[in-house]
Parts: sequence; C-alpha cells; structure tokens
Amino acid sequence: MTREVPGALSTVLAITAVTWKRLLRGRALAMGAVLALVPVAFAAGMRGAEVTRGLVPNLFLFELLIVSVMSPMFVASSIGDEIEDRTITYLWSRPVPRWAVLLGKLAALVPIALALLAASWSLGMELGVGHGPAARSYAALAAGVAAVAMIAAGLALLVPRHGMALTVCYMLLDATVSNIPASIENLTVSYNVRAIAQVPPLLVGDAATSAIWLAVIAVGWLGIGLWRIRRLEA
Amino acid sequence: MSVVAADNCSKWYGHVLGISDVSWRLRGGIVGLLGPNGAGKSTLMKMMAGLLRPSRGALTVYGASPFEDVAVRRRIGYAPEHEKTWDELTALELVTVMARLAGVPAAGARRAAEAAIEQVGMTDAMHRRVRGFSKGMRQRTKLATAIAHDPDLLLLDEPLTGVDPVARMDIVERIRALGERGKTIVVSSHVLYEIEALTTEIVVIYRGQVLAEGNIYEIRKLIDRHPHRIRIECDRPRAVAQALAGAEHVSRIELERGGVLLETRDPDRCYDEIAAAVLEREVTVSALGSPDNNLGAVFEYLTGEGGRR
Repeated sequence: MTREVPGALSTVLAITAVTWKRLLRGRALAMGAVLALVPVAFAAGMRGAEVTRGLVPNLFLFELLIVSVMSPMFVASSIGDEIEDRTITYLWSRPVPRWAVLLGKLAALVPIALALLAASWSLGMELGVGHGPAARSYAALAAGVAAVAMIAAGLALLVPRHGMALTVCYMLLDATVSNIPASIENLTVSYNVRAIAQVPPLLVGDAATSAIWLAVIAVGWLGIGLWRIRRLEA
Repeated sequence: MSVVAADNCSKWYGHVLGISDVSWRLRGGIVGLLGPNGAGKSTLMKMMAGLLRPSRGALTVYGASPFEDVAVRRRIGYAPEHEKTWDELTALELVTVMARLAGVPAAGARRAAEAAIEQVGMTDAMHRRVRGFSKGMRQRTKLATAIAHDPDLLLLDEPLTGVDPVARMDIVERIRALGERGKTIVVSSHVLYEIEALTTEIVVIYRGQVLAEGNIYEIRKLIDRHPHRIRIECDRPRAVAQALAGAEHVSRIELERGGVLLETRDPDRCYDEIAAAVLEREVTVSALGSPDNNLGAVFEYLTGEGGRR
C-alpha cells in the first residue's frame, strides 16, 4: 500500500469535508439557522412601523450580535469539543500537520456561518425595508465572521472547555469598548465592522483603515491558535 | 534498530506523575503492557503515538520523536482507550477519512477502509453510524481506524475493555493474526488473562515505572513465589478449612461469613486439594476466586508492599 505523508492541502480538504459532514448530521447547523432567523423575525415584526427609518442600523447591529454568537457556536464548539471529548487524538496521531487541522476546521465552518449570516441580513432587509442591503455591508459582515471565528479558535485552543462562552464574553466586551471614542476602538471587531459597512447613520471611521485593523486582529488570534495547537498535548 | 526506545523518560501532568524514568526497548512482536488503572500505561501509549511529549528524557519510534516528527506517525496505528469517536459518521466514513489522513491516497482510501473493516469483522455494520454501536463494535471500529493505513507499529490501548467474552475472543484472534503478519503490536490492559491470551511477552508497569519485563511465565513465577489468596464461598467453610489445615503449602486459613480464605505458596496444588476436599466432604461451593487476580494486589506483592502486610 502506498503510504506517504498526506499533503497539507489534502489534509485541509479532508478535514473540511468531514467537518461539513458532521455539521450536517449534528444539531449545530439547525441551531445556527434558528439563530439566523431571529433578526429576520425582528425585521418582519418592525415592517411598516414608525420606527422603520431606524431599522437598517438596528438590524445591522443585531446581525453583528448574531456574528458574536454564531461564529463561536460553530468554531469554538467544534474545536473545544474535539479536545474535551479526546477525539482529537485520532487526528493528532496521524501524520498531518496540526495547523492543517485548524485551517481545515476554519475552512469548513466560516463559510457556513457566512452563508447563514448573509441570508439572514438579506432576508431581514427585504422583509423590513423592502430592498436588499449594500454590497459593502456583506463584505463587512464577512470580515467580522472571519475575525470572530479566529478569535473563537484561539480561545477554544487556550481554554477548550469554555471557548464558546469566553468568545461571547469577549465580543460583549468588544462591543462595549467599540463605542468608546478613543483610538482603542480600532482594536475592536465591532467598530471595524461598522466602519467597513458604513451603514447610515452608523458612519464611523475609515473603511480601509478598519479593514487593516480587522486583519491584524484576526491574524493575531490565528497566530495564537497556531502557536497553541503546536504545543497542545492530548 | 528498536521500534520504540525510551531513555529515562518521565512525564508529569502538573504535579501528577504519569511515568517516571522509564528506560525500555521494544524490538518487535506482540507485547502486552500490563498494569492497574492509573499505572501509566496510557501515558506511555500516548507518548508512543505522538500525543504527549516527555517532560524529561527521550522517547523515539523508529528513531524519530513521534511528537515532533510528522512523518514517523504514518508508520503508527493508534486506537485510543476512550470510546468517543466521530459518532455522526458511519464506520466506513470514519475509517476512510482516518486512512486518508494517515497517507492513503484518496482514490484508495475507501478500499483500504473496507479491507480494514472486513479484517475486524464489521462489514455488515459498516454503513451504520457509530452512534448506535455497542462497546464491542466501537472497539472493532477503533481497531479498523488503526490498521487501515497498514502501519508497522500498532498501539492498542485497552482494546478489550467492555467487550463481551465472545467478541473478546474474536478480537484477540484478530490481533494475533495481525501479529503473525509481522506487525509490532503493543496492547495495554489491566487484566492479566487478557494479555495472556494475546502474547507471552509483557511489560509490567506500576506507579509510572517499568516493574518487570519479559516472558509472562517468568512474571507468573515471580508472582507465584508470593503467598496467593483463594476465597471459597460455600455452605460448610469449616469442613474445607479442616481438610486443608494440614497442608504444608497453606500458610494461613481464615474463616469468614459464608466462606473461607486460604493463603498458599502453591496455588495450582491448592486448587487441586480444594477440589478434592469439596468432593470428598460433599460441600456446596457457590463461588471460588482469588482476590489476587486484582492486579493492584499482585503488584503490591511484586513491589514488596504485600510482603510487609
């Protein structure tokens, strides 16, 4: 039998495929879908009301809140459960680089969270104000989902049992700090996502600068995750 | 070259000792890693599988560190002690993905998985999800994930735990067949007779240290030199005690409620004489056993603690 060390791409693809399969057969996807429907229901309920004028920014902030819960629900749970249940031993005893395991999980879960969020945001806008959202708001939410996913991955690798709870707490703190008008706001995901989206009247900062800051935050947390996964023992 | 070489290898989990200063060479064949729960068997297994890094000393597999060296792990097949797997998958899907991740090309992974599943006798259930499997089926599935990529070294951590006697015999046969095909196999267990059924070569591990190593019969002799206790639960314990009171190999007789506890230096002879006494005096025996089958007690004898009692 041919026995080679599997390539990194092949490993990432295999992990991605199996993560999807498990997600489709588990409960997390259904829970994610329910979560994504909450802002849609909110938008539908507000349709035609006097407050509709303020619906768009509120709906966007609602979606941002959902990002803060959905990304950790998928990513932190997937990584944390794997470590807590010790099923990670199956992966780490194989001849595969550990970083490929992390990237495979992110490659599987981030697009799922993104798709649910994009559907929720589109549907919410259609039902609430009768037209679709601006393209840049999708880009902002996508960047937010990716950044929160990497924070969740980093925290789940640091504290597997409480990765999800810690990420949600982190994001609540992040949302609070993002409203402090000082340069520290650049260090928050919430502020940078709002700055990229530029949803009126939430016109804050500069989109390009915020995109860079968001990338720095995401890469920083990914770096923490990759450092941790190399050292973790099962 | 040794398959596994451990040199003054120690592992701590914080302040808790996993294994302590183990120096050991594994050259091939089927080897039983025997020790009571918490002795350090799983720690040693995980170190060989590349899941743990020694806190001190070195452990190599085929000359490389399995924790650091990704490539050497393609030669290792590991079936962990715990039951949990990716339960959402079918057995075939699980074994296929494990084969792929172990280096079997995508095109051949399914074939390799089917062959491995057939080897462990799970073909009929391979399209069922692991979630609904019994313990025995899970053990077989784990074994299939460990062998699907045709490794040179198989590490099976407690592969017979929780398995019913029929399945146990079957799994033992299949492990022995793998050994006959030239694989180096390390099997851990805390049950002496499970290891005896698999191999004659054992490593006795206790409190994180390798206590004895070699042929199981030598170890047994060592064990048999120490007093061995036999408990007979019967309707007339006094009659059994009287029959064996004069035997020179019996060092102690203790009457208990509903039974008698004997201590002997020659267990085989003692069992024969118990059988004779029971038949001759028409005693009804409800249970016969040795508390020393508990490995903890045997190891206490081996470390000298039993002798001091």
